[in-house]
Amino acid sequence: MADGAPTKKPLDRDPYRLGNSFVFPPRVIDDIHVKAELGRYRMRGFSLFKKIPHWDDLTFLPGTLTRFVIEGYREKCDTKTVIGPRAKRPIELDIPVYVTGMSFGALSYEAKTALARGATMAGTATCSGEGGMIPDERRYSSKWFYQCIQSRYGFNPNHLVLADGCEFFIGQGCKVGLGGHLMGQKVTDQVAEMRSLPAGIDQRSPARHPDWLGPDDLALKIQEIREATDWQIPIQLKLGAARVYDDVRMAVKCDPDSIYIDGMEGGTGAGPHLATEDTGVPGMAAIRQARRAIDDLGKRGEITLIYAGGIRNGADVAKAIALGADAIALGHSVMMALNCNKDIPEANYPEEIGSEPGYCYHCHTGRCPVGVATQDPALRKRLDPDEAAERVYNFLHTLTIEAQLFARACGKTNLHSLEPEDLAALTMEASAMAGVPLAGTEHTVGIADYHHL
Amino acid sequence: MASVSDAELKTMSQEERARALGMMTEQLTSRSMFIEFKPGEEARFGYPWAPDVDFNKRTEIDADAMTTTEVNAKIRGLMREGFGTIVVKNPRGKHSLGVGILSRLNLIFEGSLGYFGTGLIDGPNVRINGRVGWSCAENMMSGTVVVEKNAGSTFGAAIRGGDLVCKGSVGSRTGIDMKGGTIIVGGDTGALSGFMMQRGRMVVCGNAGKNLGDSMYDGTIFIGGSIRSLGVDAVEAELTDLDRKWLTRKLTQYGLMPDKGVDHFTKVVAGKQLWNYDNLEPSEKKLIL
Repeated sequence: MADGAPTKKPLDRDPYRLGNSFVFPPRVIDDIHVKAELGRYRMRGFSLFKKIPHWDDLTFLPGTLTRFVIEGYREKCDTKTVIGPRAKRPIELDIPVYVTGMSFGALSYEAKTALARGATMAGTATCSGEGGMIPDERRYSSKWFYQCIQSRYGFNPNHLVLADGCEFFIGQGCKVGLGGHLMGQKVTDQVAEMRSLPAGIDQRSPARHPDWLGPDDLALKIQEIREATDWQIPIQLKLGAARVYDDVRMAVKCDPDSIYIDGMEGGTGAGPHLATEDTGVPGMAAIRQARRAIDDLGKRGEITLIYAGGIRNGADVAKAIALGADAIALGHSVMMALNCNKDIPEANYPEEIGSEPGYCYHCHTGRCPVGVATQDPALRKRLDPDEAAERVYNFLHTLTIEAQLFARACGKTNLHSLEPEDLAALTMEASAMAGVPLAGTEHTVGIADYHHL
Repeated sequence: MASVSDAELKTMSQEERARALGMMTEQLTSRSMFIEFKPGEEARFGYPWAPDVDFNKRTEIDADAMTTTEVNAKIRGLMREGFGTIVVKNPRGKHSLGVGILSRLNLIFEGSLGYFGTGLIDGPNVRINGRVGWSCAENMMSGTVVVEKNAGSTFGAAIRGGDLVCKGSVGSRTGIDMKGGTIIVGGDTGALSGFMMQRGRMVVCGNAGKNLGDSMYDGTIFIGGSIRSLGVDAVEAELTDLDRKWLTRKLTQYGLMPDKGVDHFTKVVAGKQLWNYDNLEPSEKKLIL
């Protein structure tokens, strides 16, 4: 090549290479290699990894000239939320978000009590989760759901009568149709004793309740719990989102006070990776179907609809309420408020867990670097419950004022006045699932006339 | 708690009791429910607000024209008045009768109960002179329940303590998710009995259906007759002298001792291979197929 001649940059690809497989990318090939070694399905924590139609695919249509906006910070925008208004003692919350059931066992004592204290400071509720009551959680929770789960681990009628609400766990969004999982590393002596299990075993909870099989039996079971609690407290059914319209219609027929739908965006402390990826339906579709089922049976205002799954901020809260939810339950994001996936000085993520902060999904190992999802005494010391409780409060409060921001912008003086008309979809899929028009159009995918929906 | 007497607690509403016991506060130093039952303290066999009943104080309820809620409310009201022996006549197969009784009581039903009869109890001695539907005494914590005739499925689901006895035969899934206590069946039991059993003992004097003890974590099952099939990870074990003595004592106590003794009973326990499935050898993993 002569001096001064222009140099040609070499190709950064091999022209003889035909391409890469979308069906078998390196991640999938690695997964096959690992399973060929293990001979079992792979477990992990966290929520699904793949992209699905999500809250980011919706946008608000605030007031301009067609709507009158409400002044932020000056004019009231009510956030009071009532769960189970028909019950003798409904659960009255100051804010529309509360902390969902996460078991002692999956979470540490410090995490559970910090969640309870933070929720109480924010004027909202917590839930026991699987594995029974830890007294201090009840003590710190001003409003507390006691969970009646398939395994009945630690379920005690003496604790039931202390509850402000009883939640029947029938399924969860990220692994619909499966029971709970708690790997042996987290089944310490204390956890094992509470659950009447041998310590150190891999606990795979049953997927069916022991004493009822279908909705007819469930209706009688609900009656039993009502009798045992003197018909005082709300009874809630928690369903993983699958055939939502039909499931919720059946749930309504069982006559609960509230129905909780968990979308596929929901997280878990331990579950098969594939179940997390490949079961359930997204929240925006689930809420709409659940709302329609309750309304079709004339139970709006009588049976409360609660949604959980993938809620990260106040915009998500407001969108879920606009689609029809009456209240929002939070699991994963309040764990993050506790410190989940945070790079704290005491933790060395790469050495301890093999991943960077922000990418940890190892709740199932019991080696949580921030002391949230562990029973290890040394790791638990990394979570200061006093500071954690305040962070939980701050996060819950922030979610509420963020949601208020959207409600006010849409001209609502009550957060619960948000409605599907306040939303538009940014994708065809979101339009079809959420039943709101594609942004800038009057076209709602799958619906001939939105205004007559 | 130190400044609140048991007598005061009894007069309080649930919320007032919770606050008095240190719940619903931000104080870190209050007593917990566990401390309340500390063995070194003054003996307590129930929660402090549980009614003091006198077993010699007896009364009857005719449930014929009453709803379940009315019957249960009446039982609680009579307990607060100190009645320790309550006879319920004409229960007429109503569901959820006698549920949620959390203290001592002699409760006698003169007739049959529907589903969930005497579920969620902790302490009473119950006699049912009839049959029961599904899920009798589910989640029972302590006490005794004796059913004179047959029982439906999921008899004693998830019980954690006490003695639950059916002198006749029972349906399927007896003792499912059982976490403690004793279940005794005079006749036969159906399929999947002892499914996912965790602790406790189950005795069936007659035959057992298929998949007995499927996926049981722990606990012991004794079968006097034939076993259609064992479930996953359930295995037969040798009957010990201790087992024979315990069986003889329990079966005699409830009038179910077979004429031929207890030597013929088959003992079934957990194989414990499923305790840590991930650690099994490749050939062992086929256990669950």
